[in-house]
Amino acid sequence: MHCTDACVIPFPAGDTSIRRMALGAREMGFDSLVAFGAEPGVYHGITIVKGVQLEGMEIRQILGAMKRAKSDSSLICANAGDNSFNRALMNIPGIRVLRNLHASPKKSFDQVTARMASDKRVAVDIDLSSLIQLRGSARQKAIQRYSDAVMLQDKFGFPFTLSTGARSILEMRSGRDMKALCTLIDLPESGVEDALRAVGTLCNPEGPVKVVQ
Amino acid sequence: MRTKRRYILVRVEPEYLPISPRDLYYSLLEAITTIFGDSGAAKVQPAVLSCTGGVAIVRCVRNTEAMVFSSLPTVTRVAEHRVALRSCATGGTLLSLRRRLGESPRTPAEIGDDVEFDGNSYQTVRYHGEKVDLIEKGFKSQTLLFLTQQDLEE
Repeated sequence: MHCTDACVIPFPAGDTSIRRMALGAREMGFDSLVAFGAEPGVYHGITIVKGVQLEGMEIRQILGAMKRAKSDSSLICANAGDNSFNRALMNIPGIRVLRNLHASPKKSFDQVTARMASDKRVAVDIDLSSLIQLRGSARQKAIQRYSDAVMLQDKFGFPFTLSTGARSILEMRSGRDMKALCTLIDLPESGVEDALRAVGTLCNPEGPVKVVQ
Repeated sequence: MRTKRRYILVRVEPEYLPISPRDLYYSLLEAITTIFGDSGAAKVQPAVLSCTGGVAIVRCVRNTEAMVFSSLPTVTRVAEHRVALRSCATGGTLLSLRRRLGESPRTPAEIGDDVEFDGNSYQTVRYHGEKVDLIEKGFKSQTLLFLTQQDLEE
């Protein structure tokens, strides 16, 4: 998985089937997609990773949901909340991605949380739909929040993922478009390429060295 | 002194929508203005030279292409149509872009037969390959669905 859109929402929640999204993704240069509400598989040569979104939950409920999802090979994401909530999330094993940072309160993702994300290899998702769909002060806030995250990433080195949150083929964006959009939040081209590769390393984290005989 | 220009080839999806260059220009100008402000839009001097068959040619001042590339993905609507604009290539002359366009000719989408899907009646638009778009038949809403031939068969 070298180039992945970290969030698409296919039919029936969206208006595009997962097969059509896979076709579109292939044309746009992706080799995998994280799909929410779809089963994992391979369509038209595109690997579909199942995504699970934990939202509107308290930490105790998230812990319960994590126990149930432990055997699953899906990519588990949690919505960002206030600062203490985010720090608590970092300590839950199995959570791979922190999403919707742009909608969280100011200073909810500070230096301490960034260091924890780096240590635990929890990625921060950059939801490009906030840059595409929002207008005015809401978009300004999203740009500001993600620019802050880029500065923290420079310092602490936690991974980023890039997602479009597309419910339709018309909302999907190519890698080239993603690079152009990321210039708005000062994420360099190399950073975008790392972010597009990040889902692969999150799904297959480096384990201890095995002796093969 | 004559200003140097750049020409950008843009794919408009869905390609069968009747989109006029004027409407596309207003949507693009709005996108550039909301991101870079009036001074940015004045520097870019965007213009839409043509928009037919799902392909548009956008002109801008040289060295402002990056601003256009950042703005194009934020255009989600042209007039009343939901669209996606995908930048394909950049050239210094119109001729070079047209040459590139000629290198990869696209088979146009065809209006197909009517089908029932999920209990509703739709008109199909078939592309070369597997892609099928469904346009809901009705006065109140014309919902679009984007599927493949295999989805329809299932």
